Amino acid sequence: MRVPAFLLFLLPLLFLLFPDAMAQNGYTVSGYVRAAESDEPLVGATVAVPDLRLGTVTNENGFYSLLLPNGNHTLQATYIGYEPTTLTFTINGGNKVIPIRMAPASSQLQEVVIEANTLQQKLNNNQMSVELLTTKEAKLLPALFGEVDLLKTLQLKPGVQSGGEGASGLYVRGGGPDQNLVLLDNAVVYNASHLFGFFSVFNPDAVESVELYKGGFPAQFGGRLSSVVDVKMNQGNNERIRATGGLGLIASRLTLDGPIVKDKSSFVLSGRRTYFDIFTRQLNRLQEDKKDYSPIPDYYFYDLNGKVNYKLGEKDELFLSGYYGRDFFGFTDADFKFGFDWGNRVGSLRWQHRFNPRFQVNTTLSSSSYQYNINNKIDVFSFNLTSDIQDISLKTDFGLVLDKGHNLQFGAMTTRHSFTIGRLNFDSDDDRLTFNAGSAYDATEAAAYVADDWQVNSRLSLNYGLRFSGFNSSGKTYTALEPRASAKYSITENTALKASYASMMQYIHLVANSGASLPTDIWYPSNDYVKPQRSQQVAAGVSHLFAGGRYLLTNEVYYKWMHRQIDFRDGANLFVNDNLEEEFLFGKGESYGNELYLEKIKGRTTGWIGYTLSWTFRQFDGINQGRRFPTRYDRRHDLSVVLLHKLSERINLTGAFVYGTGNAYSLPVARFAFQDVNGKNATVVPVYSDRNSFRLAAFHRLDLGLVLKLKPRNGEADLTFNAYNAYNRRNPYFVYFEQVKDESGETTRFQAKQVSLFPVVPSVTYNFKF
Amino acid sequence: MRLKNLLYTLPLLFLLASCDMEQDVSVNLPPHESQLVVECYLEPGEPLRAVVLESVSYFNDPQLPVVPDAEVYLTHNGKTVKLPFSPFQDKHNGKYYTHRISERLKAAPGDVFTLEVKDRKGRRVTGSTTIQDIVPIEAVEWKFNEKEKAYLLTSFQDDPEAENYYRYMTHQDSVNHGSERDFVASDALTNGKRVSYGSGYDYEKGDTLIVSLYHIEKQYYDFLGSVSDAKSANGNPFAQPSRIVSSVEGGIGIFTNLAYTRKMVILE
Repeated sequence: MRVPAFLLFLLPLLFLLFPDAMAQNGYTVSGYVRAAESDEPLVGATVAVPDLRLGTVTNENGFYSLLLPNGNHTLQATYIGYEPTTLTFTINGGNKVIPIRMAPASSQLQEVVIEANTLQQKLNNNQMSVELLTTKEAKLLPALFGEVDLLKTLQLKPGVQSGGEGASGLYVRGGGPDQNLVLLDNAVVYNASHLFGFFSVFNPDAVESVELYKGGFPAQFGGRLSSVVDVKMNQGNNERIRATGGLGLIASRLTLDGPIVKDKSSFVLSGRRTYFDIFTRQLNRLQEDKKDYSPIPDYYFYDLNGKVNYKLGEKDELFLSGYYGRDFFGFTDADFKFGFDWGNRVGSLRWQHRFNPRFQVNTTLSSSSYQYNINNKIDVFSFNLTSDIQDISLKTDFGLVLDKGHNLQFGAMTTRHSFTIGRLNFDSDDDRLTFNAGSAYDATEAAAYVADDWQVNSRLSLNYGLRFSGFNSSGKTYTALEPRASAKYSITENTALKASYASMMQYIHLVANSGASLPTDIWYPSNDYVKPQRSQQVAAGVSHLFAGGRYLLTNEVYYKWMHRQIDFRDGANLFVNDNLEEEFLFGKGESYGNELYLEKIKGRTTGWIGYTLSWTFRQFDGINQGRRFPTRYDRRHDLSVVLLHKLSERINLTGAFVYGTGNAYSLPVARFAFQDVNGKNATVVPVYSDRNSFRLAAFHRLDLGLVLKLKPRNGEADLTFNAYNAYNRRNPYFVYFEQVKDESGETTRFQAKQVSLFPVVPSVTYNFKF
Repeated sequence: MRLKNLLYTLPLLFLLASCDMEQDVSVNLPPHESQLVVECYLEPGEPLRAVVLESVSYFNDPQLPVVPDAEVYLTHNGKTVKLPFSPFQDKHNGKYYTHRISERLKAAPGDVFTLEVKDRKGRRVTGSTTIQDIVPIEAVEWKFNEKEKAYLLTSFQDDPEAENYYRYMTHQDSVNHGSERDFVASDALTNGKRVSYGSGYDYEKGDTLIVSLYHIEKQYYDFLGSVSDAKSANGNPFAQPSRIVSSVEGGIGIFTNLAYTRKMVILE
């Protein structure tokens, strides 16, 4: 096969670079940053040498590495929720290992009070177009039904839009939710939502942080066009067994973590389940005797997360992570049985090896699957429909610190995909009736990359890399080069300019033609007929730190081209169709905009303001008579204001206000009467014109939260009160046209109706930790 | 599709019905240029009749928009018949026609008819249909459960040599009112097989059921599908808007022929 052969060719080439690269002028300072109370590594902590304006962020193991000249240095480490730590040391002709232990901030509120030099680090970070969110931050913000959801919190960041009220799908810089690479501890998650997108699959207690890349993608990521959502699970603490949990309006959570073998191995195990099915069942039982009562179907979902890490020695560590989640929707009576379940199964085993403080490798074996199942049985007839995607992946990522400010990353990955698409069985017990449909495909995806992060001088740094990717399915092979580049130039100590370019490929496609993320949306490989999607994005920005480093103002502009975008022809049958590719339409898209972001993370009042001005279009030969149209989520104005205020040691107030231009929407412009062969009552048939040519009313909403710290005898606890949609705004979910009839059944007029989803939703959640 | 409706109701379960989540809004529609809307079904042995109306802006008054100056021509084998404007409601079944003549259709499977409709505004609609052969219903069966409710099963043989489309309807007591089951299907998954269309436990002892199996043209299948999609797109936030796929050119509508078998059963 062509692709793996290329990888084999590329890797030795990289190693050839080493001898020369190993010659050094500076010395390596490296080590782990850990939480003092639990010994957990802190991922994404910033470690900086302010005097040299050098800095780095700890990797997924909490490891950092810096190249410094001889002399006295002051090292600063900062991390959300922890006291900033400063260390001084001297380098005198040798590498140094400096472990850093950080003490937790003394009160919960201080979890968001972090020193201004974090903003300084953000300013100095070479990576642009990236948002980091920790569970600790997200937990302070108000949430629908009190269910904290990291993906929904990310929607409050500029350039990231929600699909609609309550939905957890991310629309990043004009891309669809199918164009996000969602990773959970390095393994892909295919359908990251429960309940038609109202909740994401990430149980906040199991997740430490999520990083969202909107552009300027590092070369190690690929396979989706629009974003990378990199979710990292908690690693158990190393001190003692601990329980964390919460009781909410619709779901409860429980997490256990602690050491297995002290200082060698720890675990975390987390579960969450909704319980509205318990109420609906009671309700059904009460109404059982009513004649015309149609029972409410059962619905619930649950998630299980687990992670174990094991230190094999000073240089080696193993991490085993798993996720299993299922949604179940069902209905049963004497003759009729309907069940519909869906979910993800994700697992990864990562081996981290350090050759020396400057050179390390992470190798991950992962598997991921998403499946849905519909079972329907009426008396002797049974109907079963299944679709799934299953992956096995192997990837290896090397990190090498070289001299002269070079930091090299390189690696390779390969994935085996198996797709089962719309496998349908229809049977009767007496075998009189039977038919089957469905198709299955296999595919191989592979990639290799190399990138160099180069601190050219104290003002200029560059990151440039190349990713080579390939895909093979049904005898058809595609390959592509995906160049990536970014640059940062510091004009002054407080002002930096950044720019980036990224080319991305997407070889698998989501077959979905609705606005919501439905569980029946399936993935489909590229083949002879369906070619891979491609995007290119340029972005440029300026960041400015002011008011003594208390505020960071960032402005980014971006332009994104999307090629070979996918949509489906009108009336396409995507549900059970053995010739699915006949339903595809191919077109192009573009998105551009400006994102303004002001943040403050120090003081009693913290928060951010994000404002995005953007345009997003698609163009398909078979849609809208070939004319360009705005996507449903083309949002001209998008404003988020998030404020957190510490009222006292025990009380935290939070508020989030969002405003967005109404979704673009299609409405019928005309109607005609259709009599049909039956006669008598003619029906009204709507005639639609241009795609998405109407706008729903603007969307705005204020959410308020109050976190009250309790003083239990053991451990910690709090009560979180939320008011979602505090001023009870009727935000439009959709609009339809109604035929208004009088008592005799005659149509008197036609009326447009707007449907909203959530009024003010108050909720209370009890959280504990002991 | 029923599943979608199910999905849509689910989030609403959380909400109290009294929350008043629906409100009247006003929508400004762009000016609409009316199009001719034609409905014409040929049926051997039946009089030649058509309905010609026009599309109207959605919020216009609910009057039937007739087009008195429209002229309707049917052509077969070089012979053209004009259907004059003569509004008429068939008292027997309540069906309404705008253009008709009493001449009855003589046609055999494979015959091709063309339609032309024009009016004084210069609008012109054309279409063509090929007379279909009938597909016999082989069996209509039913079975009662312990609750004395029955399901219905209708079977027929699909022709493996042809790409076939069907419309299946069941009526209770009489065909002169709305059907209680109506769907279209292609033979894409059932080519050449004995096909059965079923129902739920919907019927009781003594029910009189009329089962109709129409062997329809692809253009009729596409039209009915698009009409159904367009109707369900209005009011379903998950549906994509759907264009009407007309069988006629220059306007909206359907020109086709009806070839069906019908069976009446009394559930005993």
